[in-house]
Amino acid sequence: MSVSVEPAPPVTVIAVGNPYRRDDGAGAAVLSLVRESLGCDASVRLLELDGEPVRMMLAWEGSPTVWIVDATSSDRPPGSIHEVDAARLREADSAWSGVGGGHALGLSEAVDLAAVLGMLPAELRVLGIEGASFDHGEGLSPAVLAAVPEAAALLVDAIRCYIRGQTPDVTVSP
Amino acid sequence: MTHDYRARRFEVEALTRVEGEGGLIVEIRDGELADVRLRIFEPPRFFEAFLRGRAYTEPPDITARICGICPVAYQMSACQAVEVACGVEVDDEIRTLRHLLYCGEWIESHVLHIHLLHAPDFLGYPSGLAMAADHRFEVERGLSLKKVGNQIVEVVGGRAVHPVNVKVGGFYSTPTVAAMRELAGDLRQALGDAIDVARWVSTFPVPDHELPDGTALVALRHPTEYPMLGERLVSTGGLDIGVDEYPDHFAEVQVEHSTALHGQMLAGGDYLVGPLARFALNADHLAPSAAALATELGLTPAERNPFRSIVVRAIETVHACEVALAIAEAYAAPTRPAVPVEARAGVGCGWSEAPRGLLWHRYEIDAEGLVAAARIVPPTSQNQPVIEHDLAHLIGHSLDLDDAALEALCEQAVRNYDPCISCATHFLDLRVDRS
Repeated sequence: MSVSVEPAPPVTVIAVGNPYRRDDGAGAAVLSLVRESLGCDASVRLLELDGEPVRMMLAWEGSPTVWIVDATSSDRPPGSIHEVDAARLREADSAWSGVGGGHALGLSEAVDLAAVLGMLPAELRVLGIEGASFDHGEGLSPAVLAAVPEAAALLVDAIRCYIRGQTPDVTVSP
Repeated sequence: MTHDYRARRFEVEALTRVEGEGGLIVEIRDGELADVRLRIFEPPRFFEAFLRGRAYTEPPDITARICGICPVAYQMSACQAVEVACGVEVDDEIRTLRHLLYCGEWIESHVLHIHLLHAPDFLGYPSGLAMAADHRFEVERGLSLKKVGNQIVEVVGGRAVHPVNVKVGGFYSTPTVAAMRELAGDLRQALGDAIDVARWVSTFPVPDHELPDGTALVALRHPTEYPMLGERLVSTGGLDIGVDEYPDHFAEVQVEHSTALHGQMLAGGDYLVGPLARFALNADHLAPSAAALATELGLTPAERNPFRSIVVRAIETVHACEVALAIAEAYAAPTRPAVPVEARAGVGCGWSEAPRGLLWHRYEIDAEGLVAAARIVPPTSQNQPVIEHDLAHLIGHSLDLDDAALEALCEQAVRNYDPCISCATHFLDLRVDRS
């Protein structure tokens, strides 16, 4: 890539979703709390994207550790928090398939394409919050709203571990 | 080899490599094409209703969320409409920055479509991912180009997706001269890459095909610019109207098989918006390198083969890089980032050329500065009828193909229009939905 860019920080967090599609705004809500907790830290880049795969790949380029925060739609109860290594996204396909966003290409495609082009970060993890509604409109459903602080705290702890050079022990609710 | 398939029906449950979610049904009976329906099943969009009661300053930010691929188009059309309603005209410097921002979106959208969505059709791959394994250099060159598009949107719009720096009247802040100089350096490289991409796609094998007879091509027109921000709407049929006159000549209607509205010319006949139409009506305003390249590649305003739209998108990408470079090189900080816009009761219409074609907005603002009514006509709803008729025309000449080949050809033909189904699925009025 020839484009001039600022040096990538060690950790990039990307919130994916659309706050005008109800619980699809869960990622942005988590990111907002993470931003409040961490303040301005040059070690971390916090981004809000729509899930278009090339934008995600370009956004994480250069960071060895990347977390994606997104709403999910599976058979788990609303508000459940999932955490998965992105390399295993295909195995968890039902939980991670294009929720909220209306585009035909998604996170799985971004991961696959990045692997082909050698653009995968050393560690790429996904933190998902199970949504209840992806209708048009603003505001998270109660279960999702209640889960946002826990997801944000989990992410902040993990980021602080990375900054200290440690590997986080991520434990999520069932 | 000739096949005899007298009666068959195939259904593409979920069209891949289009923006949004859609399906396609083709029915053939007694060896003749009986029906073609582009079916859209994504939940309808309620943004027009959602905007009612919101402040006059909010449409640019809210409508930008309709689609992640073309948020700038929504912002530009919305800003223009609200500014017209409020009786405000922006400074030339602000308009130039808007033009630059739009260049970024065209580059992003066209490059994504060319490389990951459409090129695999021409080169015989089932997906962009499969193509990338064999054409890594071309895909990486495309990603590098797209990155420059992102960079423009980030520098001018504040961030690469759903720009936050745009407001009614202009921008919250303007870029620094240093940021624009850096951008100019990257755009010089991007211009060379874009030219190479155009030469690459011009070598793709293209089916011998033309739009159905009588299809009108419709695009904005500007006195001196290839239109992103145009002034008049013109057509190959002689139409020449101002922004307020759009409803006098065009309408949207509902059809049973789709939740997306279908665009109609009130005078009758199909019409097409998008790159092929823009080029046909505005080739004389292309930037010099883009114009020379179009000539080199044998592209003329008479081009009517939708499969050649990929070449037009590549030419438009060259144009966008060239225009963006000129703006970035000549940039001096504007005297002010925005003109003040006071709310007043009124009606305003705005339009611009989204990557996929004309995007028209209309807002009624009440005395309190709240949106009383909103109407948004995206390009894909306008193109839906011509997509279906073009498919019928294409299939009628391709009935000897077996199902798999015919299905692949149809999917490729749909992607000629780069349909953004996320934008197209909305209702004009909630009452229509309930009834």
